[in-house]
Amino acid sequence: MGEKLIGARMTRTEDVRLLTGRAQFVDDVRPPGVLEAAVLRSTAPHARIVRIDTAAAAAHPGVFAVVTGADVRAVVRAPQPVIWRPDPDARIPPAYPLAVDRVLYEGQAVAAVAATDRATAEDALELIKVEYEPLPAVTTLDQALAPDAPRLHRELPDNVAGRMVVAKGDVATAFAEADVVLRQSFRFARQMGAPLETRGVVATWDPFTSRLDLWLSTQAPNLARELLGEVLGLSVDMIRVRTPDVGGGFGNKFDFYGEEVVAAILSRVSGRPVKLVEDRRESFVATVQSREQHIDVELAARLDGTITGLRGTLHGVLGATLSTIGMSPCWTAAASMTGPYDIPAYEMNVVGVLTNKPPYGSYRGFGLPKANFVHEHLVEMLARHLGLDAHAVRRKNFIPPSAFPYVSPVFVFDSGRYEECLDMCLRAVQRAGWPSFVSAARARGEAVGIGYSFHNEVTGFAPSRIANQSGLQNAGFDEEVVRIDSTGHVTVRTGLSAMGQGLHTALAQVAAHCLGVPLEHVTVVSGDTEACPYTGYGTAASRAAAVGGAAVLNAATRLRAKVLRVAGHLLEVSPDDLVIDDGVVSVVGVPEAAVTLARVGDAAYRRINGLLPEDELPTLEEREVYDPSNVATAYGCTAVLASVDVETGVVTLSGYLIAHDCGTVINPSIVDGQLHGGAAQAIGGALFEQIVHDGSGHALTRSFSDYLMPMATEVPPIGVEHMVTPADHVPGGFKGAGEAGVVGGGAAIAHAVADALSDFGVTVTSLPITPPSLLAAIRKGAGR
Amino acid sequence: MKLTVTCTVNGREVRADCEPRRTLADFLRHDLGLTGVHVGCEQGACGSCTVLLDGATARSCCLLAVQVDGATVTTVEGLADNGVLGPLQEAFRSHHALQCGFCTPGMLATATELLRDNPRPTEAQIRTALSGHLCRCTGYQHIVDAVKAAADPGEPEAGEEQHRS
Repeated sequence: MGEKLIGARMTRTEDVRLLTGRAQFVDDVRPPGVLEAAVLRSTAPHARIVRIDTAAAAAHPGVFAVVTGADVRAVVRAPQPVIWRPDPDARIPPAYPLAVDRVLYEGQAVAAVAATDRATAEDALELIKVEYEPLPAVTTLDQALAPDAPRLHRELPDNVAGRMVVAKGDVATAFAEADVVLRQSFRFARQMGAPLETRGVVATWDPFTSRLDLWLSTQAPNLARELLGEVLGLSVDMIRVRTPDVGGGFGNKFDFYGEEVVAAILSRVSGRPVKLVEDRRESFVATVQSREQHIDVELAARLDGTITGLRGTLHGVLGATLSTIGMSPCWTAAASMTGPYDIPAYEMNVVGVLTNKPPYGSYRGFGLPKANFVHEHLVEMLARHLGLDAHAVRRKNFIPPSAFPYVSPVFVFDSGRYEECLDMCLRAVQRAGWPSFVSAARARGEAVGIGYSFHNEVTGFAPSRIANQSGLQNAGFDEEVVRIDSTGHVTVRTGLSAMGQGLHTALAQVAAHCLGVPLEHVTVVSGDTEACPYTGYGTAASRAAAVGGAAVLNAATRLRAKVLRVAGHLLEVSPDDLVIDDGVVSVVGVPEAAVTLARVGDAAYRRINGLLPEDELPTLEEREVYDPSNVATAYGCTAVLASVDVETGVVTLSGYLIAHDCGTVINPSIVDGQLHGGAAQAIGGALFEQIVHDGSGHALTRSFSDYLMPMATEVPPIGVEHMVTPADHVPGGFKGAGEAGVVGGGAAIAHAVADALSDFGVTVTSLPITPPSLLAAIRKGAGR
Repeated sequence: MKLTVTCTVNGREVRADCEPRRTLADFLRHDLGLTGVHVGCEQGACGSCTVLLDGATARSCCLLAVQVDGATVTTVEGLADNGVLGPLQEAFRSHHALQCGFCTPGMLATATELLRDNPRPTEAQIRTALSGHLCRCTGYQHIVDAVKAAADPGEPEAGEEQHRS
């Protein structure tokens, strides 16, 4: 069985602990003497802090430490780092873990208390007196860009943080020679990943040794360690970051947050471990937010449907300061906007604009859902304009298989069979009986439709050279260690983070497959910067399987060769004549001539009586540092069946199909689960989720009663089909799948709604599609 | 001021002193060490903290510990013993019905109640029963599949139209 583990639908090694309540999330970590902290947050969207009085809070029984922005500012050596700078000239206003002198958005952290328990800490927060002198706030793009707009940062001439251009080919000529030029504007609301476990940290900063020990619910423990070192002025050997079970990340737990620094400082001041876990209400102002962009584009095309050019401006509606990853999601949207199409001329101007809202940070999809929405809307719009079938326009403009490797405006796409994938999706739609369902429903007068979108996606974002060229001030390589112990069992040590995606199972399958051992003989260890190797960046950007899987494969393949040499020595045969299956090494065709991996392990570790060849070093361990030559391009086609209640504007989804290619699949169940989960987030993003600020800057969305995420009744049955185009340059041929589900969903849902409402001429150019906005569009269409 | 709470949790009688403002979720997690109870929103919206209280599902974040004096509580830690998963847990495992696992204890509590009250639910009934629970990872498909698989193998009473591949 060991030989066939790559591609097998194995149950996950993680599950039993999670199913029996034996997991350990960060709030379950309770070191002796731990204090619990709470953060006082600004009630003003923009204000000068006139004074803060913490005396009563500090005197409150059970309180061990109180810190303000000035206290934290005195300890830190640097502002919060911004590691991704696609605009090298970006104006990065300094941001500190607690506000110093001014607050720039409602909910910004102002002071923090550590006490015997969270309730006592919250009691103490009520005793802190802050006097604010209100300043005018800007929350919309128009407000922020107005000539007389209040400035967020006095040191900047306006509210623009940076400008970037992504370009390819001769755009001016393409538009001058176009038969058709179409224009459209798109608006995307502010949304967030909202993992069910909120962010949290348990920090112990020993005042005697200066060693800092953190338990952190993060996707990037190595990065957190380095950035803590930079901010606190510590060498990284003084810092240990451990990651317990993580209750979902979705990018939101990639970024490096000020609370991690605050907890460390509270620990240093109090001399005790300090736990700081945000509550749900806080998470809506304290965790990064995403997606908010305004995109205005023009498309140039010929009458036969060939797209010849695309240009426009993308405004990223940023928060008041930059998050760890800066303006990169906005840049990524621009870098990806030509999608799966061979568009020879392209120019996108990206403008990052600061507003009095929480920072814009990482969320699954990272710019791609907007890029996909734009190119798919344009394809459908062009088809309608020219009286062509939308799929015919897709086919005409797809990058053909013969054109790979294909140089897109930024990335080089390695492989793809887009037309086959589209056909696979169309066949699935036929098999599911959607067309006849739609005909029957329409005959009854119902507004029902089918929508499609085709996406491609740069995954395995790891090549350090490419990461650096895109402005990331960090490496992207991955390191994995595979060891066989003296009992013949296997331990994989990874610097990647497990956050629910099934990392341990996937890496174990790769190792077991290569080494010929049963899956249950493999243990994966992650989540400790002292015990695990280094991974660049972190676990994000659809990279764990594509990069970690490849690194484990290379290490395990070398280790297998050593196993065969030792076994050959034990059996007195050539290693070339040996096979490994189910943990047993045997001579090809002579199964009784065999040794177990346990005997090989014993020989390698105990080295008794010449059992190990003289020229072999003891132990069985290989380490692989893998920095890929290129990213890996996954792709897929999404189809959605939707109905609209034309009296209320409510959209109901009744079917969801994805045809997808992420190269070699390690575990189809896990990939299906990733696609399903991404689809649910796409549904939330398309129909429900919206973080709203009022005109004066107050944050109105503060709970799951305001931020509506889809439940089991809102998500329809989802079907997934796989095709496999391996990435030739990646050992194993793996491509990433973590973000795929969320990329194409918004456009497919919008097109299903437009198809259902074709009688009303409704098209969708902004997300989410709320019932009031859709109802207005229906009424406008009905009055045509 | 502290009050004494006496109740039966996962088959054992427990007694603990706690503040009147202590929620049942915090009582189970912090006073009894039952950290399989997960707190996702503290307002009864996400369902992660759901436990069985005298056999019926209850949001432990919206109850005070003092309210369960004399009651019987079952948490996820009480759904399996002797190292063997219960049928629902086994179905969740074999159908990949969990990813991060944070919502899972609450899902299991509600699915337990559903299958006890309605041993052969339709897919729509399963989705409705689970609709008080947020899962941000799975898209629900595999959870629905798992509950269906753990149900009585007989036919559901009412058929429904399916549009899956």
